[in-house]
Amino acid sequence: MPPAIRVLCLGNDLLADDALGRAAADRLAETAGRDVEVVYAPSAGFALLDYVSGAGRHLLLIDAIRTGTADPGTIHEFRAADLITPAGPSPHYVGLQEVLQLARALDLGAPDDVTVLAVETADEITVGGAMHPLVAAAIPRVCARALDVIEGWRRAPAGRS
Amino acid sequence: MEERRHIVIDPITRLEGHGKIDIILDRLGQVERAYFQVPELRGFEKFAEGRPAEEMPQITSRICGVCPTAHHMASTKALDDLYRVTPPPAARKIRELIYSTFMVEDHALHFYFLGGPDFVVGPQAPAAERNVLGVIARVGVETGKRVIVMRRRLRELIALVGGKVVHPVFGLPGGVARGISAEEQATFVQTADDAVEFARFTLDVFHNVVLANPSYVELIVSDAFTHRTHYMGLVDEKNRLNFYDGMVRVVGPDAAERAKFDARHYLDYVAEHVEPWSYVKFAYFKPVGWKGFVDGPDSGVYCVAPLARLNAADGLATPLAQAAYEEYFATLGGKPVHHTLANHWARVVELLYAAERMRELAGDPEIISPDIRTLPTETPTEGMGVVEAPRGTLFHHYETDERGVIRKANLIVATQNNSARIAMSVEKAAKGLLSGHEISDGLLNMVEMAFRAYDPCHGCATHSLPGSMPLLVRVREHTGEVVTTLRRDTDGSIHREGRAA
Repeated sequence: MPPAIRVLCLGNDLLADDALGRAAADRLAETAGRDVEVVYAPSAGFALLDYVSGAGRHLLLIDAIRTGTADPGTIHEFRAADLITPAGPSPHYVGLQEVLQLARALDLGAPDDVTVLAVETADEITVGGAMHPLVAAAIPRVCARALDVIEGWRRAPAGRS
Repeated sequence: MEERRHIVIDPITRLEGHGKIDIILDRLGQVERAYFQVPELRGFEKFAEGRPAEEMPQITSRICGVCPTAHHMASTKALDDLYRVTPPPAARKIRELIYSTFMVEDHALHFYFLGGPDFVVGPQAPAAERNVLGVIARVGVETGKRVIVMRRRLRELIALVGGKVVHPVFGLPGGVARGISAEEQATFVQTADDAVEFARFTLDVFHNVVLANPSYVELIVSDAFTHRTHYMGLVDEKNRLNFYDGMVRVVGPDAAERAKFDARHYLDYVAEHVEPWSYVKFAYFKPVGWKGFVDGPDSGVYCVAPLARLNAADGLATPLAQAAYEEYFATLGGKPVHHTLANHWARVVELLYAAERMRELAGDPEIISPDIRTLPTETPTEGMGVVEAPRGTLFHHYETDERGVIRKANLIVATQNNSARIAMSVEKAAKGLLSGHEISDGLLNMVEMAFRAYDPCHGCATHSLPGSMPLLVRVREHTGEVVTTLRRDTDGSIHREGRAA
């Protein structure tokens, strides 16, 4: 029986602020508890299928994001369920939505509940670049929020509120 | 009164390294210039400087989240060259076996799930169906599962030998870190047999879904998606396609050979052009020179990837793939094929070749030889390596000091080789389809199709979140003021804000 909760941290630790996924994974591996599976994946697009399949009931995704509409270090939180619409018309937008839909369509064990915590970045394209101080400072905060989300799932294991 | 307007088709976030399409309109609202922006990584050369060259196969593969195996292999081959060392035959075969396995996986994925929405579902299908679920609906759940299972088995084999599936770590100068046991060979043979069957099945799917539909074929050969350029690809000693090794061959728009060179001489044949309006470097065929974004034998524009590889080769080295290759050229009017959208078909032909090559190598008795490493003894100075990545020719070039510490590193990646022709394709599609300020979903899709056929891969592609993001199209005056914003949502609907342009 796999753990009912998986935390999936994404990002490339060679690319400046994109390293935050790795840092969050290291931190959460220590603190999240034994009923939580913490996974770090430097993967992209379709390869995410491997990490959402068989994820158990709940999946928490931690990632970097560039919306350009918020200060670096801002934490965006949303639930994938709120975003589920017919998939995008452009096949190059294969991402979380598509792999979740595919995992469901092909019965690959997709999680019921997916929450995303995404930290706004300042730079995610400089190889070997340093993390922006505001992004680095967001790591403890995003981990704390992750633990809150996980605790909520533990308290309402059957909940799909 | 503005002289031009500027339209940007730009995903809101970086997602799988999506490019950005810029369309600049003149005062009459006609397309003046359109181009495709490729986000480039910054600082790679600086990061590489001062590191031991042996780290490069790991570093370069970790930078790229899309085709790490291709970078790993090009880098490993550059190290062979750097240390002037020839891997033993078994090591070479193991590398090519893993590489063929990777090509099967990557090409299958692209055909079904990345390119599939355009051709399996169809360019005329409603926007809401042009996605992975639409593909599943079209090919059936059982086929969808078959693709996923095949992919998983191929990835397991890459992980078995490569150490890690995401970023393989098995390539060393002069060989590989790990051999293949007799038991593992049996698994490779079984999987390769199934991969060949899977590839044949995929060719059937292509026949039934695409070729059986005259309107698709008409679209493939239409002028809007046609360019007469040079083509580049790796070939073996008989000028047959090879993904892992060989000479780089360039043919002209008439398919006649213009050059054939090894990786060491790539700088004599490949140069880069810079335009003030873009930070993308446009690779061109140096002996002809840069003559602008134009077709024809006098223009140095060339392209890479499946379409180019089939044009640059005289044939394929395996029987089923050779038959598919002949059918491809016979159907599309002979050699060379200049139709960009034929890339999708060429990719399926290559899928069959990769699977057959995988089967040949898996069954080779020498593949289980323990002689997998030649130790380097030469003092390093400079090394170049080349492979055919799924998306085209990939060059790695390192200069080191006498200890093998990197002084200079240069990569020319597939999408860079294709950048001039991609720009031409986007511009041609935009000019043919766009007039004034009417921007429909159909237009966006057709313009996007022009570059999707190349399967462009961008260096900064690391991962994607949160999936299907809307596209944002901004119509700008030359002053930068946004006149109109169009947002195409994930359901394909278009929302317009701002004053009419």
